[in-house]
Amino acid sequence: MIANLVVGGLAAGCLYAMVGIAIVIVLNITDIANFAQGEMAMLATFFAYWLMDSLGLPWWQAVSIAIVFGLVEGIVIQQVVIRPLIGGPVLSAIIATLGLNVVLNSLAGMIWGHQTYTFPSPFAFSAPFVIGGVPIAVDSVVNIAVGLVIIIAMTLFLRFSWTGLGLRAASQNHTVARLMGVSITRTSAIAWGLGGLVGAVAGVLVAPSLFLDTNLMGALLIKAFAGGVLGGLNSLIGVFLGCLALGVTENLASAYVSPSFAEATTFIIIIAVLTVRPEGIFGRIRVRKA
Amino acid sequence: MSAAADIVRASLPRASWSWGAALVGICFVLACGAPLGVNGYGLYLLTLTGIFALVALGLNFLTGYAGQISLCHASFFGVGAYATAILTQKAGVPYLLALLSGALFTTAIGAIVAVPALRLRNIYLAIATLGFGVVLQKIIFEWRSLTGGGGGLALAAPSIAGHEVGATGLYYLTLAVMSAGLFGAWNVSRGRTGRALLVIKDSEIAAGSLGIHAARYKVTAFAISAFYAAIAGGLFAYLVRYINPESFGVGLSISFLSMVVIGGLGTIGGSIVGAAFYVIVPELLRGIKDAPGLVFGLLLVVVMVFMPQGLWGMMRRLGRGSVG
Repeated sequence: MIANLVVGGLAAGCLYAMVGIAIVIVLNITDIANFAQGEMAMLATFFAYWLMDSLGLPWWQAVSIAIVFGLVEGIVIQQVVIRPLIGGPVLSAIIATLGLNVVLNSLAGMIWGHQTYTFPSPFAFSAPFVIGGVPIAVDSVVNIAVGLVIIIAMTLFLRFSWTGLGLRAASQNHTVARLMGVSITRTSAIAWGLGGLVGAVAGVLVAPSLFLDTNLMGALLIKAFAGGVLGGLNSLIGVFLGCLALGVTENLASAYVSPSFAEATTFIIIIAVLTVRPEGIFGRIRVRKA
Repeated sequence: MSAAADIVRASLPRASWSWGAALVGICFVLACGAPLGVNGYGLYLLTLTGIFALVALGLNFLTGYAGQISLCHASFFGVGAYATAILTQKAGVPYLLALLSGALFTTAIGAIVAVPALRLRNIYLAIATLGFGVVLQKIIFEWRSLTGGGGGLALAAPSIAGHEVGATGLYYLTLAVMSAGLFGAWNVSRGRTGRALLVIKDSEIAAGSLGIHAARYKVTAFAISAFYAAIAGGLFAYLVRYINPESFGVGLSISFLSMVVIGGLGTIGGSIVGAAFYVIVPELLRGIKDAPGLVFGLLLVVVMVFMPQGLWGMMRRLGRGSVG
């Protein structure tokens, strides 16, 4: 019983974590909490659906193209909307992403309507794995595996590539990074592109279980923020573990506390953790000298 | 608003003062005469603008002056609405007294929420306040015997001193409360508290070394802004005459925050302009076939890209250009 709940929580947590990673890449480099992240992912998922449904492409091709679409979408949005806002008040940029959220949502509504679609998954009808007597659905395993791959790939990219080094430099200090020849506009575009890419992966994986409609990512976005805050927003691992913890806590709270108070219980736990560790469980406290 | 901008404002020629006073006077006369010129729905929208402006005034105090983000103002608004409604309908308390007691109750909740929020900033604070919002909304939803739960609460027309208050009456009540709120916000923001909050926003360490008790002022800011939101909630309950917990979710909190930023952070006029933008623009866009959301979202983006200081900041800059 508990094992089932934990595994289900981990699978849900991995989906939160993917959106969370997308948010955190953008947040750390541009200081902007991107409220449009969910709708960007939703649009990419609808694009994948359209490729399969209207053009008859197989799942793998459609999903690969949609992931590239997510990358391009992120870069385009950064260039058009966010670039003029760099250096301005952060809250203004956040409200702009909120506007963008509304724009993308109604755009998808205009193209695809507000009905619900079934998004296919190649793993839907496979027999569940059984590990230690606990049956685990294949899509849970896929979610967890993809989540792990993304977190490892991102960590390696940020740690060992020149571009990743530039991104980390920009996240620490814009001025010094600039003096070292790192272009802030370019790193910001890369961050938004990566965010769009990871978001698209999350969208494609979420869609089969939640069904595809224009509000696909609404709840997930808030959960991703909450999980990220719980873990600590300044490390990818922290965000990942925070989101996993959130998924498991939610599942356990709805089973053992009360289903209707699950969300409230989870938030009370988050608030309690934040009062003890204001920068999240794994977050390093930034010393403020001014 | 930085301290430097305040010094600039303080040294403006007196001419702009009389201009400002004239402008306020004209707006007030127009607002008083408005019920003569609009139909019932127009009056509803004007009252709603006044109510949202009241919330925005309070939130601007917290976000614009003290630099604290809150995503639980919809819940303060909701608690104010429910407290007022329950006190009048179930306990038979007179409307104005219920409005005030509901608001004081919510102020206490606001102060309680502020305590764990003291150490948090930015997104962390946003998520913690969001959590409080979820919890408060859930309590309203589950306390069925008192609040009617998800079925909501239908309300009869309120009465003040034996006279039933109609739509026009409620409009004037809102106008009166909003004027008082405006005056209060203007006074507090220019006084000791407002100046202390501005320093805290720029640097808590500097504030501490000046002998400003940051924690106490932050709790005060939370409490004041909860008070504004709750009064607005009490008016809102009797404007729509039907409240249910669903109306006071995160979406509304985010809308409140947008109003403040669109109007202009740390400006009193901006709160009113922002609320008007949020209530009236979607109405104007209603005619556009199946794209009101699209156009409204685009407007939000455009306003932020071209006027990062908000609509009021833009107007003030234009006004300053023409005066001096």
